[in-house]
Amino acid sequence: MPEPSAVSTQTQSTPPPAAPRKGPRGEVIIYAKWCKGCHICVEFCPTKVLAMEADEDHPRVVAPEKCTACHFCDTHCPDLAIVVRRLE
Amino acid sequence: MDDHILEAHELEKHEALIPQADWFNRSETLQKLRKNKKFPTIWCSGCGIGVVMGALIRAIDHLGLSNDEVALVSGIGCTARMPVYMDFNTLHTTHGRALAFATGLKIARPDMKVIAIMGDGDALAIGGNHFIHAARRNLGITALVVNNAIYGMTGGQYSPTTPIGGRATTAPYGNIEPPFPICELAIAAGASYVARSTVYHALELDKFLAEAIAKDGFSVVEAVSYCHTTYGRFNRLGTAADMMRALKDNTIAQSAYERLTPEEKAANTKIVRGKFLDVERPQYTVAYDNLITRVQGGEK
Repeated sequence: MPEPSAVSTQTQSTPPPAAPRKGPRGEVIIYAKWCKGCHICVEFCPTKVLAMEADEDHPRVVAPEKCTACHFCDTHCPDLAIVVRRLE
Repeated sequence: MDDHILEAHELEKHEALIPQADWFNRSETLQKLRKNKKFPTIWCSGCGIGVVMGALIRAIDHLGLSNDEVALVSGIGCTARMPVYMDFNTLHTTHGRALAFATGLKIARPDMKVIAIMGDGDALAIGGNHFIHAARRNLGITALVVNNAIYGMTGGQYSPTTPIGGRATTAPYGNIEPPFPICELAIAAGASYVARSTVYHALELDKFLAEAIAKDGFSVVEAVSYCHTTYGRFNRLGTAADMMRALKDNTIAQSAYERLTPEEKAANTKIVRGKFLDVERPQYTVAYDNLITRVQGGEK
């Protein structure tokens, strides 16, 4: 699938530092237009990749290097506003 | 939707600013959504129905079915809005009659995978009669019952699956009626496949839905969800995330449940999730075809 030119992801803009531990890595992309800010992804992320302040409408990726591609957030997002891509 | 303009400070927060048309191509699940519908969905922020929709799409995708082979039938209610967002054949019908219309569709097109998507009120109160008789006939339909224990769309009236003591608009001092056990009802009525999972266990739900859709016979999947907007508010159960966590804490896998002692089983208040029935029974449309062959002078 060709990468849309409008896409600018966290890893493309700031490459994460060397992975602190072994295992699969992932990249979380949040689609803000569909997100209703329900907080489920933030509360359940096992490695605290996502965060959302009280004054924010949508979560944001605060620790992209910690993502283990467990796919909890994209399978449990009620608005299908998250896609997790496993990095090779 | 494309007129949505993000402010400069919003742009900084969201690295991924993607046009909606491109977002649909980001995953297999998103590609099965209907692209000319207005997104985001109508459901409340955090509603579990969206999780069930994702699970259903992944299950259909796993089976490798094309969009034209699948027909989604729904009635009225929050859950019944689900087929609107998916790019399969859809039939949006009157309240409680999803299985009645699905019966006609399955008999006319036995080659199709017919999935009736219903809420707990739609399936068991208004459409309760259709539910037991579709199970009795063993029609090759998959009934996906999303159980959130309340009528959400109409403002939080108690439904046939509201637990005893649960408060609702029409039960302000607590519900006194025992709830319908959906899976046990389906087994007693004669279904071929019966399973229950929750929106927290979304991948288990994928698996059960895929097995149910593949099954040639009446298959029931109960997806236990929650309504934090009405039921959660009346009963002080917290936010959507709190109710999602409650599904994790208050359910028990069938394998773990079977290891309990009889006393522990009697005292168990947790929802048991698992596959309760998977048997082969003569499917209605097959029996009907055999009847036609026999009456017309054929063998069968």
